Amino acid sequence: MRRYLLRRLLLAVPTLLGVTVVVFAAVALVPGDPVTAFLGPGAPAEARERLAERLGLGEPLPVRYGHWLWHALHGDLGVSVSAQRPVADLLGPALGQTLLLAGAAFLLVITGGTLLGALGAGRPEGRRARAGRAVSTLAVSAPQYSVALLLIAVFAVALRWFPAGGTRDLFTGGGPADQLHHLVLPAVAAALVPLGLTARVFGAALSSVLHSDLADGLRARGLRRAAVLRHCVHNASPALLTIGGLQLAYLLEGVVFVETLFAWPGVGRLLYDALTARDLPLVQGGVLLVAVAFVGVNIVVDTAHALVDPRLRGAL
Amino acid sequence: MSRRPPLSAYAAAALLLLAVAGPLLTPDDPDAGNLRERLLAPGSAGHPLGTDTQGRDVLSRLLVAAGPSLLGGLLPVVVATLAGGLLGIAAGLGGRTTENVLLRALDVLYAFPGVLLAITVATVLRPGLLATVVSLSVVLTPAVTRVAFTEVRRIRTAAFLEAARVSGAGAASVAVRQVAPVVAPVLLVYASSLVGLAVVYAAGLSFLGLGVPPPAAEWGAMLDELRPSLLTRPEVAVLPAVTILVVSVVFNCLGEALRRRAGGGHEVGRPPAVEAAR
Repeated sequence: MRRYLLRRLLLAVPTLLGVTVVVFAAVALVPGDPVTAFLGPGAPAEARERLAERLGLGEPLPVRYGHWLWHALHGDLGVSVSAQRPVADLLGPALGQTLLLAGAAFLLVITGGTLLGALGAGRPEGRRARAGRAVSTLAVSAPQYSVALLLIAVFAVALRWFPAGGTRDLFTGGGPADQLHHLVLPAVAAALVPLGLTARVFGAALSSVLHSDLADGLRARGLRRAAVLRHCVHNASPALLTIGGLQLAYLLEGVVFVETLFAWPGVGRLLYDALTARDLPLVQGGVLLVAVAFVGVNIVVDTAHALVDPRLRGAL
Repeated sequence: MSRRPPLSAYAAAALLLLAVAGPLLTPDDPDAGNLRERLLAPGSAGHPLGTDTQGRDVLSRLLVAAGPSLLGGLLPVVVATLAGGLLGIAAGLGGRTTENVLLRALDVLYAFPGVLLAITVATVLRPGLLATVVSLSVVLTPAVTRVAFTEVRRIRTAAFLEAARVSGAGAASVAVRQVAPVVAPVLLVYASSLVGLAVVYAAGLSFLGLGVPPPAAEWGAMLDELRPSLLTRPEVAVLPAVTILVVSVVFNCLGEALRRRAGGGHEVGRPPAVEAAR
Protein backbone atom coordinates (compact mmCIF):
# COMPACT_ATOMS: atom_id res chain seq x y z
CA MET A 1 0.00 0.00 0.00
CA ARG A 2 2.86 2.36 0.78
CA ARG A 3 4.31 1.59 -2.63
CA TYR A 4 1.01 2.44 -4.26
CA LEU A 5 0.84 5.79 -2.50
CA LEU A 6 4.42 6.60 -3.44
CA ARG A 7 3.86 5.81 -7.11
CA ARG A 8 0.61 7.76 -7.13
CA LEU A 9 2.39 10.79 -5.66
CA LEU A 10 5.23 10.51 -8.17
CA LEU A 11 2.75 10.31 -11.03
CA ALA A 12 1.16 13.54 -9.83
CA VAL A 13 4.44 15.48 -10.17
CA PRO A 14 4.47 15.77 -14.00
CA THR A 15 0.74 16.50 -13.93
CA LEU A 16 1.23 19.33 -11.45
CA LEU A 17 4.13 20.73 -13.46
CA GLY A 18 1.95 20.62 -16.56
CA VAL A 19 -0.80 22.46 -14.69
CA THR A 20 1.61 25.24 -13.73
CA VAL A 21 2.86 25.50 -17.34
CA VAL A 22 -0.71 25.85 -18.66
CA VAL A 23 -1.68 28.45 -16.06
CA PHE A 24 1.52 30.45 -16.53
CA ALA A 25 1.40 30.29 -20.33
CA ALA A 26 -2.24 31.39 -20.44
CA VAL A 27 -1.48 34.58 -18.55
CA ALA A 28 1.84 35.20 -20.30
CA LEU A 29 0.06 34.96 -23.66
CA VAL A 30 -2.60 37.52 -22.82
CA PRO A 31 -2.21 40.45 -25.18
CA GLY A 32 -1.58 43.82 -23.58
CA ASP A 33 1.05 45.26 -21.32
CA PRO A 34 1.07 44.13 -17.69
CA VAL A 35 2.92 47.26 -16.58
CA THR A 36 0.15 49.52 -17.89
CA ALA A 37 -2.43 47.18 -16.37
CA PHE A 38 -0.80 47.60 -12.98
CA LEU A 39 0.19 51.26 -12.94
CA GLY A 40 -2.45 52.75 -15.21
CA PRO A 41 -1.82 54.58 -18.48
CA GLY A 42 -0.35 57.83 -17.08
CA ALA A 43 2.49 56.38 -14.99
CA PRO A 44 5.96 58.00 -15.19
CA ALA A 45 8.54 56.18 -17.31
CA GLU A 46 10.84 55.60 -14.35
CA ALA A 47 8.18 53.77 -12.36
CA ARG A 48 7.29 51.73 -15.43
CA GLU A 49 10.90 50.65 -15.90
CA ARG A 50 11.28 49.74 -12.26
CA LEU A 51 8.14 47.59 -12.31
CA ALA A 52 9.07 45.97 -15.64
CA GLU A 53 12.38 45.00 -14.12
CA ARG A 54 10.80 43.73 -10.92
CA LEU A 55 8.34 41.64 -12.91
CA GLY A 56 11.26 40.33 -15.00
CA LEU A 57 9.53 41.22 -18.25
CA GLY A 58 12.85 41.55 -20.11
CA GLU A 59 13.70 37.90 -19.48
CA PRO A 60 12.85 35.07 -21.88
CA LEU A 61 9.65 33.14 -21.11
CA PRO A 62 11.19 29.96 -19.68
CA VAL A 63 13.24 32.04 -17.21
CA ARG A 64 10.13 33.96 -16.19
CA TYR A 65 8.29 30.67 -15.75
CA GLY A 66 11.09 29.42 -13.52
CA HIS A 67 10.97 32.53 -11.34
CA TRP A 68 7.19 32.41 -11.15
CA LEU A 69 7.16 28.71 -10.20
CA TRP A 70 9.86 29.26 -7.57
CA HIS A 71 7.84 32.06 -5.98
CA ALA A 72 4.56 30.13 -6.27
CA LEU A 73 6.15 27.19 -4.47
CA HIS A 74 6.94 29.57 -1.63
CA GLY A 75 3.39 30.82 -1.46
CA ASP A 76 4.06 34.04 -3.36
CA LEU A 77 1.53 34.32 -6.18
CA GLY A 78 2.18 37.92 -7.07
CA VAL A 79 0.13 41.03 -6.36
CA SER A 80 -3.50 41.54 -7.28
CA VAL A 81 -3.94 44.43 -9.71
CA SER A 82 -7.40 45.44 -8.52
CA ALA A 83 -6.87 45.05 -4.76
CA GLN A 84 -3.16 46.00 -4.78
CA ARG A 85 -2.56 43.27 -2.23
CA PRO A 86 -0.68 39.97 -2.40
CA VAL A 87 -2.82 37.35 -4.18
CA ALA A 88 -2.07 34.79 -1.48
CA ASP A 89 -3.52 37.10 1.21
CA LEU A 90 -6.76 37.30 -0.74
CA LEU A 91 -6.95 33.59 -1.55
CA GLY A 92 -6.25 32.35 1.97
CA PRO A 93 -9.44 33.45 3.73
CA ALA A 94 -11.47 32.80 0.57
CA LEU A 95 -10.27 29.20 0.50
CA GLY A 96 -11.65 28.66 4.00
CA GLN A 97 -15.10 29.87 2.92
CA THR A 98 -15.00 27.72 -0.22
CA LEU A 99 -14.03 24.63 1.79
CA LEU A 100 -16.92 25.30 4.18
CA LEU A 101 -19.39 25.56 1.29
CA ALA A 102 -17.93 22.60 -0.61
CA GLY A 103 -17.85 20.50 2.56
CA ALA A 104 -21.51 21.19 3.31
CA ALA A 105 -22.40 20.45 -0.30
CA PHE A 106 -20.41 17.21 -0.18
CA LEU A 107 -22.41 16.02 2.83
CA LEU A 108 -25.59 16.64 0.86
CA VAL A 109 -24.13 14.83 -2.16
CA ILE A 110 -23.31 11.69 -0.21
CA THR A 111 -26.50 11.43 1.88
CA GLY A 112 -28.91 12.64 -0.80
CA GLY A 113 -27.17 10.77 -3.61
CA THR A 114 -27.14 7.38 -1.89
CA LEU A 115 -30.76 7.71 -0.71
CA LEU A 116 -31.99 8.77 -4.14
CA GLY A 117 -29.92 6.04 -5.78
CA ALA A 118 -31.23 3.38 -3.41
CA LEU A 119 -34.81 4.34 -4.26
CA GLY A 120 -36.37 1.23 -5.72
CA ALA A 121 -32.99 -0.38 -6.44
CA GLY A 122 -34.53 -3.80 -5.77
CA ARG A 123 -36.77 -3.43 -8.81
CA PRO A 124 -34.86 -1.37 -11.39
CA GLU A 125 -37.82 -1.26 -13.80
CA GLY A 126 -40.34 -0.46 -11.07
CA ARG A 127 -42.12 2.85 -10.73
CA ARG A 128 -40.07 4.12 -7.82
CA ALA A 129 -36.76 3.36 -9.50
CA ARG A 130 -37.90 5.12 -12.69
CA ALA A 131 -38.99 8.18 -10.73
CA GLY A 132 -35.64 8.20 -8.92
CA ARG A 133 -33.77 8.04 -12.22
CA ALA A 134 -35.86 10.85 -13.70
CA VAL A 135 -35.06 13.05 -10.71
CA SER A 136 -31.35 12.28 -10.94
CA THR A 137 -31.32 12.99 -14.70
CA LEU A 138 -32.92 16.34 -13.99
CA ALA A 139 -30.36 16.99 -11.27
CA VAL A 140 -27.30 16.23 -13.42
CA SER A 141 -28.69 18.37 -16.24
CA ALA A 142 -29.39 21.40 -14.07
CA PRO A 143 -26.76 24.12 -14.50
CA GLN A 144 -25.60 25.33 -11.09
CA TYR A 145 -26.28 28.96 -11.94
CA SER A 146 -29.86 28.17 -12.99
CA VAL A 147 -30.47 26.25 -9.78
CA ALA A 148 -28.95 29.04 -7.70
CA LEU A 149 -31.13 31.71 -9.31
CA LEU A 150 -34.29 29.62 -8.99
CA LEU A 151 -33.56 28.85 -5.34
CA ILE A 152 -33.08 32.54 -4.60
CA ALA A 153 -36.25 33.50 -6.48
CA VAL A 154 -38.39 30.89 -4.71
CA PHE A 155 -36.96 30.45 -1.22
CA ALA A 156 -35.41 33.87 -0.60
CA VAL A 157 -37.51 36.36 -2.54
CA ALA A 158 -40.96 34.75 -2.69
CA LEU A 159 -41.13 32.63 0.48
CA ARG A 160 -38.49 34.48 2.52
CA TRP A 161 -37.42 31.24 4.21
CA PHE A 162 -33.70 31.76 3.63
CA PRO A 163 -31.43 34.76 3.07
CA ALA A 164 -30.58 35.57 -0.55
CA GLY A 165 -26.83 35.74 0.00
CA GLY A 166 -23.88 36.37 2.26
CA THR A 167 -22.49 34.22 5.05
CA ARG A 168 -24.07 35.84 8.11
CA ASP A 169 -26.58 38.43 9.25
CA LEU A 170 -25.05 41.87 8.72
CA PHE A 171 -26.79 43.53 11.67
CA THR A 172 -26.56 40.95 14.42
CA GLY A 173 -23.32 39.33 13.23
CA GLY A 174 -25.01 35.96 13.56
CA GLY A 175 -24.18 32.82 15.50
CA PRO A 176 -23.64 29.30 14.19
CA ALA A 177 -27.39 28.84 13.59
CA ASP A 178 -27.47 31.98 11.48
CA GLN A 179 -24.44 30.85 9.48
CA LEU A 180 -26.06 27.47 8.87
CA HIS A 181 -29.16 29.30 7.71
CA HIS A 182 -27.06 31.18 5.16
CA LEU A 183 -25.32 27.98 4.09
CA VAL A 184 -28.40 25.98 3.10
CA LEU A 185 -29.30 27.43 -0.31
CA PRO A 186 -25.76 27.73 -1.73
CA ALA A 187 -24.93 24.22 -0.55
CA VAL A 188 -28.01 22.78 -2.26
CA ALA A 189 -27.21 24.68 -5.48
CA ALA A 190 -23.62 23.40 -5.51
CA ALA A 191 -24.62 19.85 -4.57
CA LEU A 192 -27.31 19.11 -7.13
CA VAL A 193 -25.21 18.00 -10.13
CA PRO A 194 -22.82 15.70 -8.24
CA LEU A 195 -25.80 14.46 -6.20
CA GLY A 196 -27.58 13.31 -9.35
CA LEU A 197 -24.40 11.68 -10.59
CA THR A 198 -23.93 9.89 -7.27
CA ALA A 199 -27.52 8.68 -7.31
CA ARG A 200 -27.13 7.17 -10.76
CA VAL A 201 -23.85 5.43 -10.08
CA PHE A 202 -24.85 4.17 -6.65
CA GLY A 203 -28.29 3.08 -7.88
CA ALA A 204 -26.80 1.08 -10.74
CA ALA A 205 -24.19 -0.51 -8.46
CA LEU A 206 -26.68 -1.35 -5.72
CA SER A 207 -29.19 -2.92 -8.07
CA SER A 208 -26.50 -5.06 -9.68
CA VAL A 209 -25.32 -6.26 -6.24
CA LEU A 210 -28.91 -6.94 -5.17
CA HIS A 211 -29.27 -9.22 -8.18
CA SER A 212 -25.95 -10.97 -7.70
CA ASP A 213 -25.16 -14.42 -6.29
CA LEU A 214 -23.95 -12.70 -3.13
CA ALA A 215 -27.43 -11.37 -2.37
CA ASP A 216 -29.06 -14.70 -3.32
CA GLY A 217 -26.66 -16.47 -0.99
CA LEU A 218 -27.45 -14.15 1.90
CA ARG A 219 -31.17 -14.59 1.37
CA ALA A 220 -30.79 -18.35 1.12
CA ARG A 221 -29.06 -18.38 4.48
CA GLY A 222 -32.18 -16.77 5.92
CA LEU A 223 -30.90 -13.26 6.58
CA ARG A 224 -33.56 -10.65 7.02
CA ARG A 225 -34.11 -8.02 4.34
CA ALA A 226 -32.46 -5.25 6.31
CA ALA A 227 -29.35 -7.37 6.86
CA VAL A 228 -29.17 -8.31 3.16
CA LEU A 229 -29.51 -4.67 2.24
CA ARG A 230 -26.75 -3.70 4.65
CA HIS A 231 -24.34 -6.17 3.05
CA CYS A 232 -25.29 -5.03 -0.43
CA VAL A 233 -24.89 -1.32 0.37
CA HIS A 234 -21.46 -2.15 1.72
CA ASN A 235 -20.55 -3.89 -1.53
CA ALA A 236 -21.94 -1.15 -3.74
CA SER A 237 -20.22 1.75 -1.97
CA PRO A 238 -16.80 1.53 -3.69
CA ALA A 239 -18.58 2.50 -6.92
CA LEU A 240 -18.90 5.97 -5.40
CA LEU A 241 -15.13 6.28 -5.20
CA THR A 242 -14.64 5.52 -8.89
CA ILE A 243 -16.45 8.76 -9.70
CA GLY A 244 -15.01 10.65 -6.74
CA GLY A 245 -12.84 12.88 -8.93
CA LEU A 246 -15.71 13.66 -11.22
CA GLN A 247 -18.03 14.60 -8.36
CA LEU A 248 -15.35 16.86 -7.05
CA ALA A 249 -14.78 18.54 -10.40
CA TYR A 250 -18.45 19.41 -10.65
CA LEU A 251 -18.51 20.59 -7.05
CA LEU A 252 -15.53 22.89 -7.59
CA GLU A 253 -16.64 24.35 -10.90
CA GLY A 254 -20.16 24.83 -9.59
CA VAL A 255 -18.74 26.81 -6.72
CA VAL A 256 -17.59 29.56 -9.13
CA PHE A 257 -21.19 30.28 -10.12
CA VAL A 258 -22.87 29.51 -6.82
CA GLU A 259 -20.54 31.76 -4.80
CA THR A 260 -20.99 34.58 -7.28
CA LEU A 261 -24.78 34.43 -7.19
CA PHE A 262 -25.01 34.03 -3.41
CA ALA A 263 -22.33 36.66 -2.68
CA TRP A 264 -20.37 33.97 -0.82
CA PRO A 265 -16.83 35.31 -0.26
CA GLY A 266 -14.93 32.25 -1.48
CA VAL A 267 -12.40 31.50 -4.22
CA GLY A 268 -15.13 31.26 -6.88
CA ARG A 269 -16.49 34.70 -6.06
CA LEU A 270 -12.94 36.05 -6.05
CA LEU A 271 -12.36 34.54 -9.50
CA TYR A 272 -15.53 36.17 -10.85
CA ASP A 273 -14.47 39.55 -9.50
CA ALA A 274 -10.95 39.05 -10.88
CA LEU A 275 -12.33 38.17 -14.32
CA THR A 276 -14.63 41.20 -14.32
CA ALA A 277 -11.71 43.48 -13.39
CA ARG A 278 -9.32 41.55 -15.69
CA ASP A 279 -7.05 41.13 -12.69
CA LEU A 280 -4.79 38.50 -14.25
CA PRO A 281 -2.50 37.68 -11.30
CA LEU A 282 -5.58 36.98 -9.20
CA VAL A 283 -7.16 34.83 -11.96
CA GLN A 284 -3.88 32.95 -12.29
CA GLY A 285 -3.57 32.38 -8.56
CA GLY A 286 -7.19 31.32 -8.16
CA VAL A 287 -7.14 28.83 -11.03
CA LEU A 288 -3.80 27.42 -9.86
CA LEU A 289 -5.09 26.98 -6.32
CA VAL A 290 -8.23 25.16 -7.42
CA ALA A 291 -6.39 22.96 -9.93
CA VAL A 292 -3.72 21.97 -7.39
CA ALA A 293 -6.38 21.27 -4.77
CA PHE A 294 -8.23 19.16 -7.33
CA VAL A 295 -5.10 17.10 -8.10
CA GLY A 296 -4.49 16.67 -4.38
CA VAL A 297 -7.97 15.48 -3.56
CA ASN A 298 -7.89 13.13 -6.52
CA ILE A 299 -4.84 11.48 -4.96
CA VAL A 300 -6.77 11.09 -1.71
CA VAL A 301 -9.74 9.59 -3.55
CA ASP A 302 -7.57 7.16 -5.51
CA THR A 303 -5.75 6.11 -2.36
CA ALA A 304 -9.01 5.55 -0.51
CA HIS A 305 -10.20 3.50 -3.44
CA ALA A 306 -7.06 1.38 -3.36
CA LEU A 307 -7.48 0.89 0.38
CA VAL A 308 -11.01 -0.40 -0.12
CA ASP A 309 -10.28 -2.46 -3.22
CA PRO A 310 -6.87 -4.20 -3.08
CA ARG A 311 -7.07 -5.17 -6.76
CA LEU A 312 -6.38 -1.55 -7.69
CA ARG A 313 -3.04 -1.50 -5.90
CA GLY A 314 -1.42 -3.43 -8.71
CA ALA A 315 -2.83 -1.11 -11.34
CA LEU A 316 -0.22 1.58 -10.92
CA MET B 1 -36.42 -1.67 -29.04
CA SER B 2 -38.49 0.89 -30.87
CA ARG B 3 -37.13 2.49 -33.99
CA ARG B 4 -39.19 5.61 -33.53
CA PRO B 5 -37.10 8.69 -32.70
CA PRO B 6 -37.27 9.52 -28.99
CA LEU B 7 -39.36 12.45 -27.82
CA SER B 8 -36.18 14.35 -26.97
CA ALA B 9 -35.13 14.19 -30.64
CA TYR B 10 -38.23 16.17 -31.66
CA ALA B 11 -37.60 18.65 -28.85
CA ALA B 12 -33.96 19.09 -29.90
CA ALA B 13 -34.98 19.53 -33.54
CA ALA B 14 -37.50 22.19 -32.48
CA LEU B 15 -34.77 23.99 -30.52
CA LEU B 16 -32.40 23.97 -33.49
CA LEU B 17 -35.20 25.27 -35.72
CA LEU B 18 -35.83 28.02 -33.19
CA ALA B 19 -32.15 28.91 -33.22
CA VAL B 20 -32.21 29.38 -36.97
CA ALA B 21 -35.62 31.05 -37.23
CA GLY B 22 -35.43 32.94 -33.93
CA PRO B 23 -34.63 36.37 -35.39
CA LEU B 24 -37.65 36.05 -37.72
CA LEU B 25 -40.09 35.24 -34.93
CA THR B 26 -39.38 38.12 -32.56
CA PRO B 27 -42.50 40.12 -31.68
CA ASP B 28 -40.39 43.20 -30.93
CA ASP B 29 -36.96 44.67 -31.69
CA PRO B 30 -34.67 42.77 -29.28
CA ASP B 31 -32.23 45.68 -28.93
CA ALA B 32 -34.69 48.57 -28.69
CA GLY B 33 -35.03 49.72 -25.09
CA ASN B 34 -37.75 51.89 -23.66
CA LEU B 35 -36.95 53.50 -20.34
CA ARG B 36 -40.62 53.96 -19.52
CA GLU B 37 -41.22 50.19 -19.81
CA ARG B 38 -38.45 48.86 -17.60
CA LEU B 39 -38.84 45.53 -15.81
CA LEU B 40 -42.45 44.91 -16.79
CA ALA B 41 -43.98 41.70 -15.47
CA PRO B 42 -44.64 38.77 -17.82
CA GLY B 43 -48.03 39.12 -19.46
CA SER B 44 -47.80 42.89 -19.89
CA ALA B 45 -49.33 44.30 -23.06
CA GLY B 46 -46.99 43.62 -25.99
CA HIS B 47 -44.42 41.87 -23.76
CA PRO B 48 -45.55 38.30 -23.04
CA LEU B 49 -42.41 37.55 -21.01
CA GLY B 50 -41.90 41.06 -19.64
CA THR B 51 -39.01 43.46 -20.19
CA ASP B 52 -35.46 43.77 -18.84
CA THR B 53 -33.71 46.59 -16.98
CA GLN B 54 -33.50 48.67 -20.15
CA GLY B 55 -37.08 48.01 -21.21
CA ARG B 56 -36.15 45.52 -23.92
CA ASP B 57 -38.58 42.71 -24.74
CA VAL B 58 -37.34 39.56 -22.99
CA LEU B 59 -39.09 37.08 -25.31
CA SER B 60 -37.48 38.72 -28.35
CA ARG B 61 -34.08 38.65 -26.71
CA LEU B 62 -34.42 35.01 -25.67
CA LEU B 63 -35.35 34.09 -29.25
CA VAL B 64 -32.51 36.04 -30.84
CA ALA B 65 -30.10 34.61 -28.27
CA ALA B 66 -30.98 31.02 -29.20
CA GLY B 67 -28.67 31.08 -32.22
CA PRO B 68 -25.42 32.23 -30.59
CA SER B 69 -26.18 30.33 -27.37
CA LEU B 70 -26.69 26.98 -29.10
CA LEU B 71 -23.83 27.62 -31.52
CA GLY B 72 -21.56 28.25 -28.54
CA GLY B 73 -22.38 24.72 -27.38
CA LEU B 74 -22.58 22.88 -30.70
CA LEU B 75 -19.45 24.19 -32.43
CA PRO B 76 -17.04 23.12 -29.65
CA VAL B 77 -18.57 19.63 -29.72
CA VAL B 78 -17.97 19.42 -33.48
CA VAL B 79 -14.39 20.70 -33.16
CA ALA B 80 -13.65 18.44 -30.20
CA THR B 81 -15.09 15.39 -31.94
CA LEU B 82 -12.91 15.92 -35.02
CA ALA B 83 -9.77 16.81 -33.05
CA GLY B 84 -10.33 14.12 -30.43
CA GLY B 85 -11.01 11.51 -33.10
CA LEU B 86 -7.76 12.35 -34.90
CA LEU B 87 -5.71 12.44 -31.70
CA GLY B 88 -7.29 9.23 -30.41
CA ILE B 89 -6.54 7.34 -33.62
CA ALA B 90 -3.02 8.78 -33.67
CA ALA B 91 -2.46 7.69 -30.08
CA GLY B 92 -3.88 4.24 -30.75
CA LEU B 93 -1.96 3.49 -33.93
CA GLY B 94 1.15 5.63 -33.50
CA GLY B 95 3.33 3.45 -31.31
CA ARG B 96 4.33 3.67 -27.67
CA THR B 97 6.01 7.08 -27.67
CA THR B 98 3.16 8.88 -29.42
CA GLU B 99 0.70 7.16 -27.13
CA ASN B 100 2.56 8.11 -23.97
CA VAL B 101 3.16 11.72 -24.94
CA LEU B 102 -0.45 12.28 -25.98
CA LEU B 103 -1.98 10.59 -22.95
CA ARG B 104 0.35 12.43 -20.52
CA ALA B 105 -0.56 15.76 -22.13
CA LEU B 106 -4.23 14.93 -21.74
CA ASP B 107 -3.71 14.08 -18.07
CA VAL B 108 -2.60 17.67 -17.52
CA LEU B 109 -5.82 19.00 -19.03
CA TYR B 110 -7.81 16.56 -16.91
CA ALA B 111 -6.27 18.08 -13.82
CA PHE B 112 -8.51 21.13 -14.26
CA PRO B 113 -12.22 21.13 -13.46
CA GLY B 114 -13.84 21.99 -16.84
CA VAL B 115 -14.95 25.54 -16.17
CA LEU B 116 -11.56 26.45 -14.70
CA LEU B 117 -9.75 25.24 -17.82
CA ALA B 118 -12.21 27.14 -20.01
CA ILE B 119 -11.59 30.28 -17.96
CA THR B 120 -7.83 29.84 -18.31
CA VAL B 121 -7.98 29.50 -22.08
CA ALA B 122 -10.67 32.14 -22.60
CA THR B 123 -8.76 34.87 -20.71
CA VAL B 124 -6.13 34.76 -23.46
CA LEU B 125 -8.71 35.64 -26.09
CA ARG B 126 -10.95 38.61 -26.68
CA PRO B 127 -14.44 37.92 -25.23
CA GLY B 128 -16.71 36.56 -27.94
CA LEU B 129 -18.04 33.46 -29.65
CA LEU B 130 -14.54 32.52 -30.77
CA ALA B 131 -13.25 32.53 -27.19
CA THR B 132 -16.15 30.28 -26.17
CA VAL B 133 -15.59 27.86 -29.04
CA VAL B 134 -11.82 27.65 -28.60
CA SER B 135 -11.85 27.25 -24.83
CA LEU B 136 -14.66 24.70 -24.76
CA SER B 137 -13.00 22.73 -27.56
CA VAL B 138 -9.92 22.49 -25.38
CA VAL B 139 -12.08 21.35 -22.46
CA LEU B 140 -13.96 18.67 -24.42
CA THR B 141 -11.19 17.30 -26.65
CA PRO B 142 -9.37 15.20 -24.00
CA ALA B 143 -12.52 13.23 -23.18
CA VAL B 144 -13.30 12.57 -26.85
CA THR B 145 -9.69 11.56 -27.45
CA ARG B 146 -9.93 9.08 -24.60
CA VAL B 147 -13.09 7.52 -26.01
CA ALA B 148 -11.54 7.26 -29.49
CA PHE B 149 -8.31 5.84 -28.09
CA THR B 150 -10.14 3.19 -26.07
CA GLU B 151 -12.02 2.13 -29.18
CA VAL B 152 -8.86 1.98 -31.31
CA ARG B 153 -7.04 -0.02 -28.64
CA ARG B 154 -9.92 -2.49 -28.62
CA ILE B 155 -9.57 -3.20 -32.35
CA ARG B 156 -5.93 -2.54 -33.07
CA THR B 157 -4.91 -6.19 -32.98
CA ALA B 158 -8.02 -7.33 -34.87
CA ALA B 159 -7.64 -9.62 -37.84
CA PHE B 160 -9.12 -7.18 -40.35
CA LEU B 161 -6.44 -4.61 -39.60
CA GLU B 162 -3.75 -7.25 -39.89
CA ALA B 163 -5.25 -8.30 -43.23
CA ALA B 164 -5.22 -4.73 -44.49
CA ARG B 165 -1.59 -4.29 -43.49
CA VAL B 166 -0.51 -7.60 -45.02
CA SER B 167 -2.24 -6.68 -48.26
CA GLY B 168 0.04 -3.63 -48.39
CA ALA B 169 -2.12 -0.80 -47.05
CA GLY B 170 -0.09 2.11 -45.62
CA ALA B 171 -0.59 3.50 -42.13
CA ALA B 172 -2.71 6.41 -43.36
CA SER B 173 -4.89 4.14 -45.42
CA VAL B 174 -5.46 1.78 -42.49
CA ALA B 175 -6.37 4.73 -40.26
CA VAL B 176 -8.79 6.29 -42.73
CA ARG B 177 -10.36 3.23 -44.37
CA GLN B 178 -10.31 0.65 -41.59
CA VAL B 179 -10.14 2.35 -38.21
CA ALA B 180 -12.09 5.59 -38.73
CA PRO B 181 -15.33 3.85 -39.81
CA VAL B 182 -15.29 1.80 -36.60
CA VAL B 183 -14.52 4.74 -34.33
CA ALA B 184 -16.87 7.28 -35.94
CA PRO B 185 -20.24 5.88 -34.76
CA VAL B 186 -18.97 5.53 -31.20
CA LEU B 187 -17.75 9.12 -31.26
CA LEU B 188 -21.03 10.39 -32.70
CA VAL B 189 -23.01 8.85 -29.87
CA TYR B 190 -20.55 10.21 -27.33
CA ALA B 191 -20.57 13.66 -28.92
CA SER B 192 -24.36 13.82 -28.77
CA SER B 193 -24.14 13.34 -25.03
CA LEU B 194 -21.75 16.31 -24.72
CA VAL B 195 -24.01 18.92 -26.33
CA GLY B 196 -26.10 19.67 -23.22
CA LEU B 197 -23.02 20.13 -21.09
CA ALA B 198 -21.36 22.32 -23.73
CA VAL B 199 -24.40 24.61 -23.96
CA VAL B 200 -24.36 24.97 -20.17
CA TYR B 201 -20.62 25.73 -20.19
CA ALA B 202 -20.98 28.24 -23.04
CA ALA B 203 -23.68 30.18 -21.20
CA GLY B 204 -21.56 29.98 -18.05
CA LEU B 205 -18.61 31.58 -19.83
CA SER B 206 -20.81 34.42 -21.07
CA PHE B 207 -22.12 34.83 -17.55
CA LEU B 208 -18.52 35.27 -16.41
CA GLY B 209 -18.00 37.89 -19.11
CA LEU B 210 -15.73 35.71 -21.26
CA GLY B 211 -18.21 34.82 -24.01
CA VAL B 212 -20.41 36.87 -26.30
CA PRO B 213 -20.22 40.47 -24.97
CA PRO B 214 -23.21 42.81 -24.54
CA PRO B 215 -25.34 44.26 -26.08
CA ALA B 216 -25.63 41.10 -28.20
CA ALA B 217 -28.23 38.75 -26.76
CA GLU B 218 -26.95 35.46 -25.34
CA TRP B 219 -28.57 33.38 -22.60
CA GLY B 220 -25.64 33.45 -20.19
CA ALA B 221 -25.06 37.18 -20.70
CA MET B 222 -28.79 37.82 -20.18
CA LEU B 223 -28.60 35.86 -16.95
CA ASP B 224 -25.87 38.20 -15.73
CA GLU B 225 -27.70 41.33 -16.95
CA LEU B 226 -30.96 40.38 -15.22
CA ARG B 227 -29.29 39.24 -12.00
CA PRO B 228 -29.66 42.59 -10.16
CA SER B 229 -33.42 42.45 -10.84
CA LEU B 230 -33.75 39.14 -9.00
CA LEU B 231 -35.09 40.83 -5.87
CA THR B 232 -37.47 43.20 -7.64
CA ARG B 233 -38.70 41.15 -10.60
CA PRO B 234 -37.75 37.51 -9.95
CA GLU B 235 -40.27 36.11 -12.45
CA VAL B 236 -38.37 37.82 -15.29
CA ALA B 237 -34.87 37.38 -13.87
CA VAL B 238 -35.12 33.58 -13.78
CA LEU B 239 -36.23 33.23 -17.42
CA PRO B 240 -32.76 32.86 -19.00
CA ALA B 241 -31.84 30.39 -16.24
CA VAL B 242 -34.97 28.34 -16.95
CA THR B 243 -34.30 28.43 -20.70
CA ILE B 244 -30.78 27.06 -20.27
CA LEU B 245 -32.07 24.41 -17.85
CA VAL B 246 -34.72 23.21 -20.32
CA VAL B 247 -32.24 23.11 -23.22
CA SER B 248 -29.75 21.17 -21.10
CA VAL B 249 -32.40 18.62 -20.07
CA VAL B 250 -33.52 18.15 -23.69
CA PHE B 251 -30.03 17.53 -25.04
CA ASN B 252 -29.07 15.28 -22.13
CA CYS B 253 -32.19 13.15 -22.63
CA LEU B 254 -31.38 12.92 -26.34
CA GLY B 255 -27.78 11.92 -25.64
CA GLU B 256 -28.95 9.28 -23.20
CA ALA B 257 -31.57 7.90 -25.58
CA LEU B 258 -28.97 7.60 -28.35
CA ARG B 259 -26.52 5.96 -26.01
CA ARG B 260 -29.08 3.43 -24.84
CA ARG B 261 -29.97 2.57 -28.44
CA ALA B 262 -26.34 2.23 -29.40
CA GLY B 263 -26.19 -0.60 -26.88
CA GLY B 264 -25.42 0.25 -23.30
CA GLY B 265 -22.23 2.22 -23.25
CA HIS B 266 -21.67 4.00 -20.00
CA GLU B 267 -24.69 3.61 -17.78
CA VAL B 268 -23.11 6.27 -15.65
CA GLY B 269 -23.59 9.87 -15.33
CA ARG B 270 -24.22 13.17 -16.87
CA PRO B 271 -22.77 13.11 -20.35
CA PRO B 272 -19.66 14.53 -18.94
CA ALA B 273 -16.51 15.89 -20.38
CA VAL B 274 -14.38 13.94 -18.04
CA GLU B 275 -16.33 10.79 -17.54
CA ALA B 276 -14.72 8.51 -20.09
CA ALA B 277 -11.31 9.11 -18.63
CA ARG B 278 -11.91 7.82 -15.19
